[in-house]
Amino acid sequence: MSEAHITVRTSTGEYLIRLDVRYTESDEWVLIRGNTALIGITDYAQKKLRSIVNVELPAIGKYVKKGESVAVIESVKAVADVYSPLSGRILEVNNELLTHPEYINEDPYGKGWIIKLEISDVNEINDLLSHEKYIEKIRSSE
Amino acid sequence: MLRTPLEGIERAHGANLGLFAGWLTALDFGDPISECRATRSSATLFDVSHMGRLEVDGNKSFELLDKLITKDLSTLNPGEMSGPALILNENGGIKDDIMVYMVNDNKWLIVCNAVNRVKDINWLLEWRDRLGFTNGDVSVKDLTTDSVLIAVQGPKSLELLESIGIKDACKISLLNFMQNIRVGELSIYLISRSGWTGEEVRSYGFELWTDVLNGVKLYESLIKAGAKPAGLIARDILRIEMGYVLYGNDIDEAVSPIEARYWMALSRGKDECVGCDRVWSKYVGGVNRLRYGLKLKKGVKHILRRGYKILAGDEVVGEVTSGSYSPTIERSIGMAYIKVDHAYIGFNLDVDIRGNRYEVKITDFPFI
Repeated sequence: MSEAHITVRTSTGEYLIRLDVRYTESDEWVLIRGNTALIGITDYAQKKLRSIVNVELPAIGKYVKKGESVAVIESVKAVADVYSPLSGRILEVNNELLTHPEYINEDPYGKGWIIKLEISDVNEINDLLSHEKYIEKIRSSE
Repeated sequence: MLRTPLEGIERAHGANLGLFAGWLTALDFGDPISECRATRSSATLFDVSHMGRLEVDGNKSFELLDKLITKDLSTLNPGEMSGPALILNENGGIKDDIMVYMVNDNKWLIVCNAVNRVKDINWLLEWRDRLGFTNGDVSVKDLTTDSVLIAVQGPKSLELLESIGIKDACKISLLNFMQNIRVGELSIYLISRSGWTGEEVRSYGFELWTDVLNGVKLYESLIKAGAKPAGLIARDILRIEMGYVLYGNDIDEAVSPIEARYWMALSRGKDECVGCDRVWSKYVGGVNRLRYGLKLKKGVKHILRRGYKILAGDEVVGEVTSGSYSPTIERSIGMAYIKVDHAYIGFNLDVDIRGNRYEVKITDFPFI
């Protein structure tokens, strides 16, 4: 991981926070580059799910609305929906996860990315959380 | 919220903590699947300090326990354990599944489920009164929060205990225990050959009970000797591989031990205890549902979750109570209560996983 990260410690464990991305209340991260958004789940989310055994991905080209479920992650512990942080069209999905779902556990901000979107409403970006706000969110949910 | 006394040392070894039965405790150390594999191939440490530990003391202690527990305790000798045993309600439903340790005629220990600890104590005290016994005849002491319980499980567990100086560990046979062991600086209250991972069946499991101060030192020295720490999620997977029931998931007050096929927790012929008569009349009269194992096909990576319906055609014939991925057989496994007229061992039924149907094989236990 070459990007800058910090570690946040709470009563349940230690969680990596990537500094150059935005976050959602539902524990997704979003890396915005021009009009595209790379999306995954946070280190906090993967640690709550633990060993991930299965990932269901959406079809490329599909339009999704902000807040809509775009992927399903199954771990030994639970089933979780991944909610799209933004509205847009699916440009790419991380097919590697179909054979290596554990990438999300091993590197949630890197090779564990889930989908790439073409952003349809840039105004929605303002609703995403900064890393400071996301840290507050983690701390308050413990 | 209660916290495991080993919290600090577990954090230092990378634990992810979470709540289980009202306790903040180590749920995993990064990867529950590899913790399972390490248990099956080597040896791991489980902090099970959340489990209830009670001492029942006094000249009426046997009479009280004999009245409330399904196992025949009269055949035990000092230093022996009952194996899984049940406390039943008056309808024959399961109040708890426990382990009873005989220290001597007048002193017994109970290890019970964390979620039932207070309920069990109240039940023991209620029945003490109902039987006309006094506090002097029999007392019930809760030792849980002043002590730790560490399970060492896996084929290298004996070697591991010997390597930290517990030379007598080899003398303890399955479901037996030794007390007041001194090892150098360490003092251990009780060591038993037991567990809940399946390793104990092969005599590859020990449980060590001691006070908090010694517990922290013991944990550290076992890690130094090569044991890998493991969490409660791995323990859950291991017990599902064995077909063991988890209280609150697979058994509760509305479930009969006959339906759960919990034969190992019953003593045939003991019908004098509270609820026992109801169990044995059900045994003779028959039940409508039974607990069986479930196996998804190889490659189907969904996890069987509590509440998923088992289908025969369009009819719901059962419901999943526990499930996980088994790293040992590399399949998704689980357990369900299934209507007896559809409990076709070896055949497939369907399971509804969020609106999609998958074939699931009905099996017996254990899975491994």
